[in-house]
Amino acid sequence: MSEPKKISWGVRIFRFFASFQLAVVCLSLLFLLTFFGTIEQKWNGLYGTIQKYFDLDSFIVIPTLASGKVIPIILPGAYWVIVVLSINMFLGGLLKARKGWKKAGTLVSHFAILFMLIAGAVSSVSKEEGKMIVYQGKKSDYAQMYHDFDIEVFRYDEKGDREAPAIIDSKFLADLEPKHKLQAAFEKFDFGFQIDSYQKVSELALAGPDSMPRDNEEIVDGFFIAKAEKNVKEEGMNMPGCYVTVKDKDGKDIQRLVLWGGNPFPVSFSYEGSRYGVCLLRKIWPMPFEVELHKTVGEYHPNTQIPRWFQSDITKVFDGEREDYMIVMNEPARHGGYTIFQADWADNGDTPYSGFAIVKNPSDKWPEYALYIATVGLLFHFLFMLWRFAGGSSRKKSNPSAQ
Amino acid sequence: MNHDSSNSKTLRWILVSIGLVIQFVLIGIAIKGAIPHDEVREIPDYSPWSEEVIEVAAGIPVQEGGRVKPFSTYARFKMLSFHGDLTLEVKSGDTVHKIGPTEWLLDCLFRPDLADKLPIFRLDDTDVVKPFGVKTAKRRDRISMTDLMEGGDANRNGFEQLIDRGRELMEKLEGKKKENFNEEEKREQKIVEFAQLALSYRGFTDSLDLLRGGLPPIDASKLKYLTPEVVEALKSVAEPTEFLFWMPVYRQLMSSLEEMPREENGRLPIEYGAFVYEFNRQFEFSKFGMFWLPPADDKEEAWTTVGRMIEPALQGGVQNPERLMDDYRSLESVVKEARRPNSSEFLDALTVFKNTQRDRAAGRDEGDIIDSEISYYERNYFMKALVYFLIAFIISAIGWMVMEGLAGKGIFWSTVFFYIVGTAYVSGGIAHRIFLTGRPPVSNLYDTIPFITAVAVIVLGLAEVLTRRRLLLSMGAVIGVIGLFFAFRFEMGDAKDNMDPLRAVLDSNYWLATHVVTISIGYSGGLIACFLSTVYVYLALAGVMKDPQGFKRFMTRAVYGIVCFTLLFSLVGTVLGGIWANDSWGRFWGWDPKENGALLIVLWCLIILHARLAGWVKDWGIHLLSIFMGSVVVFSWWGVNMLEVGLHSYGFIEGANSVYLFYGSTVAAMLVSAAAWGVERHQRGQRKLEKGLKGGQSD
Repeated sequence: MSEPKKISWGVRIFRFFASFQLAVVCLSLLFLLTFFGTIEQKWNGLYGTIQKYFDLDSFIVIPTLASGKVIPIILPGAYWVIVVLSINMFLGGLLKARKGWKKAGTLVSHFAILFMLIAGAVSSVSKEEGKMIVYQGKKSDYAQMYHDFDIEVFRYDEKGDREAPAIIDSKFLADLEPKHKLQAAFEKFDFGFQIDSYQKVSELALAGPDSMPRDNEEIVDGFFIAKAEKNVKEEGMNMPGCYVTVKDKDGKDIQRLVLWGGNPFPVSFSYEGSRYGVCLLRKIWPMPFEVELHKTVGEYHPNTQIPRWFQSDITKVFDGEREDYMIVMNEPARHGGYTIFQADWADNGDTPYSGFAIVKNPSDKWPEYALYIATVGLLFHFLFMLWRFAGGSSRKKSNPSAQ
Repeated sequence: MNHDSSNSKTLRWILVSIGLVIQFVLIGIAIKGAIPHDEVREIPDYSPWSEEVIEVAAGIPVQEGGRVKPFSTYARFKMLSFHGDLTLEVKSGDTVHKIGPTEWLLDCLFRPDLADKLPIFRLDDTDVVKPFGVKTAKRRDRISMTDLMEGGDANRNGFEQLIDRGRELMEKLEGKKKENFNEEEKREQKIVEFAQLALSYRGFTDSLDLLRGGLPPIDASKLKYLTPEVVEALKSVAEPTEFLFWMPVYRQLMSSLEEMPREENGRLPIEYGAFVYEFNRQFEFSKFGMFWLPPADDKEEAWTTVGRMIEPALQGGVQNPERLMDDYRSLESVVKEARRPNSSEFLDALTVFKNTQRDRAAGRDEGDIIDSEISYYERNYFMKALVYFLIAFIISAIGWMVMEGLAGKGIFWSTVFFYIVGTAYVSGGIAHRIFLTGRPPVSNLYDTIPFITAVAVIVLGLAEVLTRRRLLLSMGAVIGVIGLFFAFRFEMGDAKDNMDPLRAVLDSNYWLATHVVTISIGYSGGLIACFLSTVYVYLALAGVMKDPQGFKRFMTRAVYGIVCFTLLFSLVGTVLGGIWANDSWGRFWGWDPKENGALLIVLWCLIILHARLAGWVKDWGIHLLSIFMGSVVVFSWWGVNMLEVGLHSYGFIEGANSVYLFYGSTVAAMLVSAAAWGVERHQRGQRKLEKGLKGGQSD
């Protein structure tokens, strides 16, 4: 009697990762994650839900209901499910799969989808995006990030102009809770900051008979920062806010300030005879080029508020070279990995302006290429299947099957 | 054993009956929920408009929603927004009159007193009007403006109370988010919405009051800035009870009234006060109503209303007074002649007005599709297609009993004939819409319904050609009936003109023709698979097939093929959507609800295909998963829109209870499927046992 052939652990692991069963499990998990990650957007907003379900650093997901109650299912983070699915697709759908012209379609489509997932991964880790506002006749060389807020501190010179700022980066603020206190020191200044009561979604309120703090918020110069209801439809409307204590080099409190992300003006204080400004603002993203906006046009369908046409005539200036573009809806301008889209337009009676969404994404066009490949592969496969179906036993030759 | 077999058959039929009852109850709830209480109102003095008047009025150009359309289309969607239906029945004497949209709007504009008596307001919850003393028959009901005005108390009628309360509540709810409303606030919001609706109705009915006259008489000699000579000169133009009389001297009139000595209470003398109130009311309401006057300046795009047209003239800033007076007089003549609605004078005045506006529109290269659009609605393609599919289904159902011989052939070819005519009608309707809008077949939520239906009937028709089992044609006909009925109900409930222009980001024929069409074909595939599997499980459970195994193999292969078809189109459509999003918003994938919905379909197809390859599901499993795919498709197609979040904010719908009923229906079908599977397993076990026993005995 022959001994059963021993299967090595390597083969077992390969078989496991290349199995259809694992594919079904991954796809089912992804299905559940996508479903819960869709309905939860109604009460958690798009951005919050993406962070919870689909981000790189989301390992465990527990879906919640509108009431805040937890659905008792523990799911792995979607990003990691996609990673396992990609491995499965590579091993099972490409390496292990039978090769031959009958399977050519599925092989090609697996390759294309894998390529698309890789494009997604590249985009997820390296994509940057922000918004640049340019008024007609003006130019700009920076955008502002959508979700990240920095604190900028700068000195005003004798003429009242701002000097180069010191920055408390958004990464230090992102996970700050209201009860936390963050100490910040600056290389170029000998005073320091203590940041506290940081609210990710807040409103700046003027204390008065109709608006007094509800949770004992501190009133500074007549204002206070209150926790606000999250705007789930327009993430951009959610503004952080905090209190800052300016401390001298000996750690003694100098002044208390209120910072709010929606305040377009810096808050000022004096220290050792100089005047300083502080602001909490969307992270500045310097561009390697300058955008000059010559003309911006917005049209609405007559007697409606339905936008019909937006157009921006710009010149991009890069290394002294000037290049003209016309940006309209669905037709962005592309330059060196950056893409410039028409995102907003407004004309409030003064100078009209364009809001350009700027995206830097190395895998910008990869999904498009993947689509062409996948379509060819799937079409080949399914047409082959259809041919077999039509030529097979499905055609009823004599006895009808239904009575 | 015979006893067992009989028990099993009974159990099967019980399960089939339960499943069908649940499904029909759910469909019944969906239909009943959409139909309010209707009664034929007795309006003794109602007289219908003549056919000629209706025909002329239908062709008057009106600008609305960003395009120039026929009066009849405008009326259609206005009537739907108020009434939720396209006809309204009233009785005068022994005659019942059916009032359509054009007639109703003619009543609103030219016979407002009569229009007020028509039960035009559809109320889904009559509690909304109860606080204002309005009497209603049922929770869902239709009421008239007269019903509303008869409510209230001695100081203010029900309409006035409603408007005042609506204003109060609007201020109260301002700034609050709808999704955070408590029950009380939801009720209050309904009052606000009904108040806005009632006010917009008034905006119509009173928009031509300015042309009707009826200003309270005042003594013009007491107006400081008007000389007797000027007053006499004005009298040669119009009566002092007419707005036109005061138009040339508007500024002098206002200055005179401003400087007029006040009474002790600080107010104008009562007759002047009444005059000012009525003058302002007529003028303000004349700014509402229809934008049916093309601008004199060809560079201007926005058409205008009577009030907006004369506003610059009152301020002394009109550039083309002759044109203004032409329009004013032309419309005034229509309004005045409308006192005898079926007279030849009214018809002539209306015809002149229509021809003038049509010529002007043509001079501006606008309104060239008006006649074609009128014929589109008159042809009623989708309703006719529905009828033909219904006939095809009924004939094919008869054919299940008579499949052989000449009769069987005759029935089959009759089915084919009606099926083809139905398909031609639905395709013709879509083609006509393409011509009218200049857009690909699917550009909004409404368009998806006939398109998906058309794809389903064409695919099933072609599948019938390939398989010749006479089953797929019947299924196609049923899908045709359901789909087009749904399109009809959606248009009624949505009450929006879906041929209006699109917003800039969507206005791309390339992407509409690729992404939207492809994804809709994918939806269609998913629904076909769901439907095939549902039919299969009922037939299998009922055990009515001659060759159950062969039929199972055929249906499983057919469903498998349709799942592949769905995957292909859903995947390509989804990725195309991502590419469009990348070009529009700068990101390929944003986990937006609509994108996720499409992804869910792709994932579900992949789960079915890979679960089969893994050996986890076979015939029954595939059908079970395929039925669930119907819910996935409906979630993607409709469900995500109900979340009201994301960038795809062009397709939001409210109160789509039918979606939940569909989910319920698929769950019922899945339960039936699971039961059928269980029964089959049980029978297989019984057969094995029998075989084993027989084998044992022979041993």
